[in-house]
Amino acid sequence: MSEIWVLVDTAQDKVRNVTYEVLAAASKLKEKNSSTICAVFIGESSGAIEADLGKYGAEKFYKIENPALKDFNPSLYATALSEIIKKNNPDIVLGGNTLKNQDYLPRVASRTGAGLAIDAIDIDLSSESTLQVKRYKYSGKSIATVSFHDVKPMIATIRLNAFKPIEGSGSPEVISETVDLPADDNYKVIETKIIPKERPELTEADKIVSGGRGMANGDNFKIVYDLADSIGAGAGASRAAVDSGWVPYEMQVGQTGKVVSPNLYVAVGISGSVQHYAGMGSSKVIVAINKDPDAPIFQKCDYGICGDLFDVLPALTDEIKKLG
Amino acid sequence: MIEEKSKKTLLYLDFNPLLLKISLVLFKSPRGKKLKILVIVRQTPDTEAKIQTNSSGDGIQTDDIKWILNPFDEFAVEEAVQIKEKTGAEVVVLTVGAERSVDAIRTSLAMGGDSGVHIKDDSFADMDSYALGKVIGSKIKSLGDIDLIIAGKKWIDEESNQVPIQVAEELGIPQATLASKVEVDESSKTAKVTSVIEGGEEIRELKLPAIITVEQGINEPRYASLPGIMKAKKKPCEEVGPGDINSDEIGISADALGVAGSRVKTDSIEIPTITRSLKVIEGNDVQQASSELAKLLREEAKII
Repeated sequence: MSEIWVLVDTAQDKVRNVTYEVLAAASKLKEKNSSTICAVFIGESSGAIEADLGKYGAEKFYKIENPALKDFNPSLYATALSEIIKKNNPDIVLGGNTLKNQDYLPRVASRTGAGLAIDAIDIDLSSESTLQVKRYKYSGKSIATVSFHDVKPMIATIRLNAFKPIEGSGSPEVISETVDLPADDNYKVIETKIIPKERPELTEADKIVSGGRGMANGDNFKIVYDLADSIGAGAGASRAAVDSGWVPYEMQVGQTGKVVSPNLYVAVGISGSVQHYAGMGSSKVIVAINKDPDAPIFQKCDYGICGDLFDVLPALTDEIKKLG
Repeated sequence: MIEEKSKKTLLYLDFNPLLLKISLVLFKSPRGKKLKILVIVRQTPDTEAKIQTNSSGDGIQTDDIKWILNPFDEFAVEEAVQIKEKTGAEVVVLTVGAERSVDAIRTSLAMGGDSGVHIKDDSFADMDSYALGKVIGSKIKSLGDIDLIIAGKKWIDEESNQVPIQVAEELGIPQATLASKVEVDESSKTAKVTSVIEGGEEIRELKLPAIITVEQGINEPRYASLPGIMKAKKKPCEEVGPGDINSDEIGISADALGVAGSRVKTDSIEIPTITRSLKVIEGNDVQQASSELAKLLREEAKII
């Protein structure tokens, strides 16, 4: 029977939510052709995660554990996955659109002769059982439907927050695979620094509050952070705010910054240019706070307050805290 | 005090020909061979461009579009030119695309690149990343002695970052993506790269040749100066057609070069319509407006 593989992302021996989202995406395909959904772990050691994977839809669990996979090395990870792909011939390989997967799946595609489409917002199977992917092109300005030629495997990464995990019950059959990994003298990890962040990463955040030109300076971003912290949101910014030097590049949302798709996006003092919308237009709910009634953002939002952000933002933070 | 000391050092240097000689030698590459850097660039629609679907529905209307150098590639070109300024490296700029794409090369040359390679032919249009990796990889192989390949972190038209990595795989060389800092050591032929990773950063050492994609903000890309633009017009740019790519070497038949060698294809493109509820509250009474919005988010949108 044909197999759909789902790459497992873990953090501190726990399965990351993105994996459950991708398992949900795989379930959608399974409804069409009754493939077997297989979770695939590549790394030093997976920990006891099979029960969690089973609960969210994995029927088989391939484990590739090897001490050489302790540090992330795109080339070695590609070797490990390519070898077991060649051995087991899955039809489809899916993973979350994480930085790691973006880093090594292109190598797997080249090595196994596979097609690759990244950052899918939806997936489906054609009547010929080839994979179809919907993904943004030209930033958020257009949605392309991309189909795969009949060359296996077909590989895709799924945008975070695009699918909702489906909880069920099940326990997967565990298969341990071994691969020979030659030493890689070309690539060495010297130091990995985890930098504790005060707020969620923008690309993973469920909610985001962003400030724009209307913030007037960097210090004023404090009221953006206050609102963000009251709802557990990440903090972002428009290009205008970043280019003015008020906040760092890593906060930039838009066509030339980060592309985000949270459930809630609050745009504060952001006019709503095409370029900014291209980076956040797939957010589920958009809220705008701006004093200019003619700002384009008021034509692209679900809720808004037309008023001075320096009055509105603290008041809104208070009201949200009152709701508890 | 400090000023005085540096003045003295300068004087010392000025009057000591031996020291001057030593410092000149230090600035030269040890083997006398210049570092050769290749930058992969892309021409994309301007970020302000209005995107509309074409009549067949599988692409976009290109007639009225202003084309620019992919904004993320500016950081790649700048990084290469900065390394050139430090080491005397040679900088080659490569692109794949239609006739007009040569402008992306010219812009890069005006910023300080030395020469261009333009892979162009109608049969190369609409290739996927798999086919692009093979074609670009094979051309780079034939160039021979590239030490370092630099690219931007993403193409804003394809919304993709996979081509440089597929090129790395074709060439069998290491990669580091999203670099926020790059230090090239010519004597040991290595690059020390600080990369953005999820939740932090990682320092990696790559043996050259290697591919690096750079994060936005790694540098401040310069504007092309007028003399730079004038000079760029005279710099050499090689045009590469299908006949110049050895398809045997990349393991595909000549007629599968280009879109026929691709693994995925775009069936259709649609422009999403904006359907939002547009409930805008007048903010004269800030307290009331905020309270109303908070309630809507809680009870109607069920989002907080």
